[in-house]
Amino acid sequence: MSAGSANAAASSVNVSSSTKSLRVFGDEIWKNKTAKINAELFTLTYGSIVSQLSTDFQRNFTKVNEKLFAMGYNIGTRLIEDFLARTALPRCENMVKTSEVISKCAFKIFLNITPQVTNWANNKEAFSLLLDENPLSDFVELPMDAVKELWYSNILCGVLKGALEMVQLDCDVFFVNDVLRGDQSTEIRIKLNRVLKDEIPAGED
Amino acid sequence: MAIQTILVINKSGGLVYKKEFLNGGHRLTSNEYLVLAGTLQGVIAIAGQLTPKALQITKNSGIKDVTDQETLVAYAGPLGILESQDMGSFMLPDYFTESFKSWNTSGLKHITTDQLSLFVFQSLTGVKLVAISTQNSISNVAVSIAENLLRKVYCLYADYVMKNPFHEAEMPIKCTLFDKKVAEMVSRL
Amino acid sequence: MATTETKDLSEHQRLQLQFQLFQESLPKVNDVVYRMLLKEMLPLAIAVDKSLSDDEKEDENDKTEQEHRAAEEKLANLSIGYKGTPSHVLIKEYADSDEERRLRIRTKMMKMGYQIGNQVSELLIFSNNPNLNFRDMDLLSVMKFICRDVWKQLFGKQIDNLKTNHRGTFYLFDYDLKLLEGMALNEDALEKELSVLEPYLDIPCGILQGVLASLGYENNVSCQATFVDVPESKAGGFRSFPKGVSFNVLVNVNPTAGGEKTVDAGAKGAGAQSFPV
Repeated sequence: MSAGSANAAASSVNVSSSTKSLRVFGDEIWKNKTAKINAELFTLTYGSIVSQLSTDFQRNFTKVNEKLFAMGYNIGTRLIEDFLARTALPRCENMVKTSEVISKCAFKIFLNITPQVTNWANNKEAFSLLLDENPLSDFVELPMDAVKELWYSNILCGVLKGALEMVQLDCDVFFVNDVLRGDQSTEIRIKLNRVLKDEIPAGED
Repeated sequence: MAIQTILVINKSGGLVYKKEFLNGGHRLTSNEYLVLAGTLQGVIAIAGQLTPKALQITKNSGIKDVTDQETLVAYAGPLGILESQDMGSFMLPDYFTESFKSWNTSGLKHITTDQLSLFVFQSLTGVKLVAISTQNSISNVAVSIAENLLRKVYCLYADYVMKNPFHEAEMPIKCTLFDKKVAEMVSRL
Repeated sequence: MATTETKDLSEHQRLQLQFQLFQESLPKVNDVVYRMLLKEMLPLAIAVDKSLSDDEKEDENDKTEQEHRAAEEKLANLSIGYKGTPSHVLIKEYADSDEERRLRIRTKMMKMGYQIGNQVSELLIFSNNPNLNFRDMDLLSVMKFICRDVWKQLFGKQIDNLKTNHRGTFYLFDYDLKLLEGMALNEDALEKELSVLEPYLDIPCGILQGVLASLGYENNVSCQATFVDVPESKAGGFRSFPKGVSFNVLVNVNPTAGGEKTVDAGAKGAGAQSFPV
């Protein structure tokens, strides 16, 4: 297994007086402190958005991808405050930690899934998230013309991009695989470009 | 602790929200509030730089335990938040029941004079929430109450300001519901 | 007789419980992300309209394979300094748009709502809800189903009041539409603001039509929403938006074409009647 998951097992975070693992922390918020809705309703709502986009752009899926990303970005830049308010997690000192917070807390709390963190770059600044389940695309089948071009869940990349940027991490976020396209897995790549040091608020060390 | 004023300052030091709760007494003009916001922003930055070098180095080398204890904010009770609608999407009973770690570790956190205290809460995104109270409270209890209160204001901010598609980032907050919620919360203290 | 009745009742309760447990066992996501998604639909619709009209201005040439690839690459490299158009800027554009453009955007909202409605009724039909019987469902029962079950599923609460003249005109009142939560800005600028919020009402309008279509009322259905004041009897307590919303649904049920749907109406006279929902 990759270094990421090895690290995951060992890592813990000091969120309170007691030391808890991020996984337990995320699970607890999901279980006890989250208003939930039927995932299928969420899936079909998102589906109607993608389908309207595809019609509007006359099945130019590159454009659809772009708009989904942009929509996600606008959500991410706002949703990050919700995430921080909910978790009060301290700043991650490196991307390994960031990857765990994304997977075990963010994805868990908002979508009730825990993507696998894997495929670390040697410099530990890029990794992949493998989504075994994806509530955005449950039961979705892409029409033939969309299979090669549409990244159906591209909104996720936008959300991640926007949210990470707000905590001063300038990253590239993009899909490399999607089971909807016939790939073996659904994989999102996150690559750190740089830490926006000038924008880190004063008062943190 | 009587809260006199709540302020929100954006990441570049601009005042985006102010709410005064007490009538009478001397009030700052809008302009003075803007100056206060900018000054606080500057002082927070300078305070960080004042941190002794030795301490900065120990922190950076990963020996964190020294300061961890100091930056942990104790849970201070529900602070009057009791009804299910009070905290938006932050579910009750009280969303937080544990102590938490302050994000503001080396910057200015509070100022005390004989007549008042001022508390600063800062998020990772750089937004700062400020509470001014009419007591000169320096006890740890008072500080943690203030931080808990401001954390709750931050939750309201996340709910009613950030989820409003009409809100313009970094610009003055004009969300009536946020205003109302903050007022309710402070009045119940 | 009495014994069978109580037996029926407990059987019903058993089904009810079973249904509830089943609902709870279904996969869930956080309500927060669902609400965010709905709220961002308007900025999205505006952005789409914008980029479509920009495209029209450019020369219309078919995208070659190469261009596709370049665009795909651009997407993968949405790297340093990606700057999208923030939601509030897009909404401002809507506020400054002419009627024609507003209508285009509102139509998109309506269409997305329609698709949601179309599918959400399926979701509810296949949920084995013991309170629902879709056979022999007349128009009034369909409307009640919308007020109760559809609304509950989508917005977490039921419609507050349903009125009808029994001739295909319905008024559905929601005095606390969750979709609008927290969207009020300045109270004094209310009029202008409400016009900007209108496209949000097109989502539930579309949903209403979508549900009706999926249950056989496909043609001759129209729906319009307007902001209304909240009656004093409902004004107490916490509300997330200062105005209520009235959805006016017109279903032309005159058996002109086909006419397989008949409505158990008329007999009760023309006066509007209220129903507890």
